[in-house]
Amino acid sequence: MSEPRPFLVIGYGNTLRRDDGVGVRVAEAVEALNLPGVKVLTRHQLVPELAEPLSRARAAVFVDATVFSGLKELELSEIEARKGGQILAHAADPRSLLALAGQLFEHCPQAWSLAIPVEDFGFGDHLSTRAEGGVVAAIRQIRKLASQKLA
Amino acid sequence: MAKRIMIDPVTRIEGHAKISIYMDDAGKVSDAQFHVVEFRGFEKFCEGRPLGEMPGITPRICGICPVSHLLASARAGDAILAVNIPPAADKLRRLMNLGQIVQSHALSFFHLSAPDFLLGWDTAPAQRNVFGLAAAHPELARAGIRLRQFGQEIIEILGGRKIHPAWAVPGGVRSALTNEGRDKIRAWLPEAFATTRLALELFKKTLKSHEKEALIFGNFPSLFMGLVTPDGSWEHHGGKLRFTDSGGNIIADQLDPQRYAEFISESSNQSSYLKSPFYQPLGLPGGMYRVGPLARLNICRRMGVPQADEELEQFKKFGHGAVTSSFLYHYARLIEVLASVEFVEAYLEDNDLFSEKLRADAGINNLRGVGASEAPRGTLFHDYTVDADGILKKVNLIIATGQNNLAMNRTVAQIAKHYLHGNEIPEAMLNRIEHGIRCYDPCLSCSTHAIGQMPLHVELVGPGGDILDEVTRS
Repeated sequence: MSEPRPFLVIGYGNTLRRDDGVGVRVAEAVEALNLPGVKVLTRHQLVPELAEPLSRARAAVFVDATVFSGLKELELSEIEARKGGQILAHAADPRSLLALAGQLFEHCPQAWSLAIPVEDFGFGDHLSTRAEGGVVAAIRQIRKLASQKLA
Repeated sequence: MAKRIMIDPVTRIEGHAKISIYMDDAGKVSDAQFHVVEFRGFEKFCEGRPLGEMPGITPRICGICPVSHLLASARAGDAILAVNIPPAADKLRRLMNLGQIVQSHALSFFHLSAPDFLLGWDTAPAQRNVFGLAAAHPELARAGIRLRQFGQEIIEILGGRKIHPAWAVPGGVRSALTNEGRDKIRAWLPEAFATTRLALELFKKTLKSHEKEALIFGNFPSLFMGLVTPDGSWEHHGGKLRFTDSGGNIIADQLDPQRYAEFISESSNQSSYLKSPFYQPLGLPGGMYRVGPLARLNICRRMGVPQADEELEQFKKFGHGAVTSSFLYHYARLIEVLASVEFVEAYLEDNDLFSEKLRADAGINNLRGVGASEAPRGTLFHDYTVDADGILKKVNLIIATGQNNLAMNRTVAQIAKHYLHGNEIPEAMLNRIEHGIRCYDPCLSCSTHAIGQMPLHVELVGPGGDILDEVTRS
C-alpha cells in the first residue's frame, strides 16, 4: 500500500537577513511539532527540484516574508499553477513550481501562500517583534489548515 | 561619436546584472561591460565573528552553491589552525563537493541553458524556458531535476540538510557517512550515469547545429586557471593552482593558494561591484584568465576516472592546445558531472568514509589563512585574517564569477560585433548575449553578495556617452 500524500510545508528565505528568514523559522517550528501527515521542507530559495515533492503532496503551503505595505496581518491565499513565471532565479515563484509539478510529475496539489508581514531585512539572525508575532500566528494557521486537509 | 548599447535584464543567471556595449566613431562595437549594480558586503559582515562560525555564515552567501563556501571556509580555518585534517575528513569533504558540482551543473545545463540550444535561440523568451523544455523534452527536463536531486541528496546525507549545512569545520568535518547513507547514494548511481550520458550525447549531437555559436560565444585566447593534483590531474578540493595559456602551455604550476595575492591582482570598476581579478605577472589585458569547467578541463591532463577520461580526450580535440570557446563550458560541465558520478561511485567503496577520526583539534596558530576549493563555477578563495582569539579582522573572498568577469565582457563584445549592425538592439543579439553570459553560469549573489533579483539592462552607448538604445526585459 502506498503512503498517503502528506501536507507539505515549504518555508523559505535567508536566515541571516533577519525577517527574510521568517518562513524558515515557521517551517522549523512546525517540524518540531511532529504533526502526523505533515512534511516540512526549508530552503534558502525555491528551486526546481521542489516540483517532485510537491507532486507527491496532497496539499502544500509556501511560507515566506512579505513587505507588501498594505498587509498588516498574516495573509493566507490559495494559489494556482502558472506557467512561465520566474522559476530559476533567487525569487522563484511558487505558482511556477506548481505548474512544473503538474507538467513533469503529473500531479499538482492544492496550494496556499502564507505571507508574513515583516519589516527588517538587515544583517542578523534575530526576527523583529513584528515577525516574531507572525511566527506564532503562522503556526496556528498551518495547524488549522493541515488538520482540515488531512481530515 | 562612440555609442553604447544596454541590455536589461539578462535572465536565468543566478541574480541579475547590466550590460553596456560601447560603439566607436565608425559605428562598430569597441567594448562591452558586464556590470553588477547591487552590493551586499558579506566580507564586512563577517568581521568581528569567531573563526568557528565562518563555515556557518559564509554558505548563506548563496542558496545555489553554499557547499563551495562551506568547504573554502573550512579550508581557510584549517590553515589558521595549521593542521592537516584526517584523511577521512578530506575524503568526506570531497564527496560533498562532488555532490555540489553535480547539483549545480545539472541546474545550469538542464534548466538554465538547455532551453536556448534545444528550443532555438530565436524562440520567444516566454517559451524558451524550463516550461518550454518540459513540453518539448519532458523526459530530459524530469531527468535533469532528478540529477540535481541526486547531488542534493549527497549533500543532505552528509550534512544533515541540503542548504547551508555547517558540517565542515576548521580541522575536519562533524560526522561520517553512515551505511544507510551509502546505500541511498548507491541506489541513485545507475540513474545518475544514464542521465549524464543522455545529456552528453544530446549536447554533442546539438553542437553540430551550433557551430556558429561555438565560434563567436566567447571564443578568444586567454589564460585558464584552476586546481590540479601533483601529477596535473583534475582536482576540485585541495591541490595546487595551475595557469595555462590558450596554446595549452603551462605558464605557472603548483602554486600554493595561500600565496594567491602574489600572482592574482584585482582591478575594480566604478560602475560595478564585480571585481576583475587577473594574473598579475602578465598584467592586463594579457593576464585575463578564465576559471570553471572549461578552465579545469583545459589545465588538467586527465580526469582520473575512465569514462570521463574518454570524454576529456574527445573534448580536447575541439581546441589547439586549449579549447577556447566559452560555448563549450556546457560540454565541460557535463564531463565534470560524469567524473563526479564516477568519483562518488569509487568513494562509496572506501571504508575511510565511516571513520570516527574526523577532526584535528588545535588553537589559533596562524593569524592568516586562505582556503581554496573548486566551486562549480570556478576556483573560490576565502582569505581570513584573525586576531589571537580567532576573531575575524579581515575577510577577502575571490569568487569564480568575478574571475570570469573580463572574459564575460569579451564574450559580450564578440557576440555584439557579430550581430549588431546599426544603432538598435536586435532581438537575435539580445538572446545570444544572454546565453553568452550564461555559458559562464555566473552567480551574482556570490560575486557581489547581492540579495534577491538584480534587474539588468543592456544599453548602447555612443562615443560621447549618449545612450542610443536600451532594452529592459522583466
